[in-house]
Amino acid sequence: MRAAGAGSTVGAVDAATVILVLVVVVALAFDFTNGFHDTANAMATSIATHALPPKAAVTLSAVLNLVGAFLSVEVALTVTNAVVRIQEPDGAPSPDLVQDGGAGLLLIVLTGLVGAIVWNLLTWLLGLPSSSSHALFGGLVGATVAGLGWGAVHWTGDGGDPDGILGKVVIPAVASPVIAGVVAATGTWFVYRVTVGVAARSTERGFRWGQIGSASLVSLAHGTNDAQKTMGVITLALIASGHWTSTTAIPLWVKVCCALAIALGTYLGGWRIIRTLGKGLIDIAPPQGMAAETASAATILVSSHLGLPLSTTQVTTGSVLGAGVGRPGATVRWRVAGRMGVAWLITMPAAGLVGAATWFLAHALGGGVLGAAAVVLVLVVLSGAMYVRSRRDAVHAGNVNDEWQEPARERRPAAAGGVR
Amino acid sequence: MLATETGMLGQVLLVSLALGAGLPVLFGLGLRATAWGTGGDAEEHAAGEAPRPHPLGRALGVLCFALTVAGVLLGITVVVASGLGYEVSLGGGPLLVEKA
Repeated sequence: MRAAGAGSTVGAVDAATVILVLVVVVALAFDFTNGFHDTANAMATSIATHALPPKAAVTLSAVLNLVGAFLSVEVALTVTNAVVRIQEPDGAPSPDLVQDGGAGLLLIVLTGLVGAIVWNLLTWLLGLPSSSSHALFGGLVGATVAGLGWGAVHWTGDGGDPDGILGKVVIPAVASPVIAGVVAATGTWFVYRVTVGVAARSTERGFRWGQIGSASLVSLAHGTNDAQKTMGVITLALIASGHWTSTTAIPLWVKVCCALAIALGTYLGGWRIIRTLGKGLIDIAPPQGMAAETASAATILVSSHLGLPLSTTQVTTGSVLGAGVGRPGATVRWRVAGRMGVAWLITMPAAGLVGAATWFLAHALGGGVLGAAAVVLVLVVLSGAMYVRSRRDAVHAGNVNDEWQEPARERRPAAAGGVR
Repeated sequence: MLATETGMLGQVLLVSLALGAGLPVLFGLGLRATAWGTGGDAEEHAAGEAPRPHPLGRALGVLCFALTVAGVLLGITVVVASGLGYEVSLGGGPLLVEKA
């Protein structure tokens, strides 16, 4: 505890410190959900084709995410600048938001993170891959609108580099699956053409290694991209509350904690999403798996290299669909793809609504420690409820590759009292 | 901004197509060449007339695989280098350039 000093200022600082601790814990929780939500992107295809046993696949992906998180020294401190105006261009928090010891800004970040986590868990429960970055952006936008009004939202760029919700979220979201799909479909079609006449037995081992290599590349890229976002958010909170001053460096402990959180999440594996991506969209064969992951890795790396990073989740989903389209005679379950599309559309508004609702809750309770604690309590209760619900039809390493059937809850009305 | 983005997305598509579709195809060609080089049961054939092995096929196969591995190593170099504050430049000159 801080020693008591001169009156009200110290009281405010102490409140901010308590909220800061909550923000850090919740941010790490978000990083964790980010990890297990995205294991599927790298490993679903390799698991579905048995190129790797499920446990080995998630372990490999976790290790590469950990390595990736440490590899990046770039500071992603300006991560929120893409969608809201709570920071200066150099990453420092807006001065008018930190006059109260940072509590105002911390509350926006906290409730934004809560919105993102709730949406990540709900889509996981439904087995739908959806972008963790979009969830984070959505939550932050919702909390910012609630706290500062619509004027603080960054809708479009200023004519230069792509920026704002339009440039950083909407356009990439539409373009990612299309680009990745075209690349994967082209790759798949040619791979099948050039290996005609080669005995299946002698291609199997080759494609297996091709899949492991390309999936590893996706994992590594994920670690370098995604862990940074949480590092940036935590560092922003530390600066806002006066516990850190540099806008060009990130505290080592933040880096270590974020790397571990995303790796642990990846290792745990979002089996429900792995199942949808690996078994739900298409019945994937090794050449398709290799073409899809290579297309994903190439699109992710090229796009972030050229300054227009595309969402890993949407790229991977597009690749898997493309691999289905590119193989003559393959079935693509467009209904499943359609459900994912709907989830993508509502990711930002849904996470935003939760972010805004929890901000109002915290505000109604005075916006201080009590409000922040109530928000965290809401998060814990909702997460617990969704976890309990997930146990009813648990998906795990043992049944992730079972034959795909449309989820029972969708067929229930037609088969009332019947099948199930 | 829309024009800039369309241009950037076009670039992303072209480069991704070259690498993301090119490498799997190269890898497939490697498998194909190796099977041709190995002959016998590595290729599909009618019963009783196993294809002869072709040493050239093996060499071509090794070449394709080597190029594929080089492509993947390039990808890893890009990830690692940009994480450490370097840019990979393929326009001649030094391979790694410190970012501005």
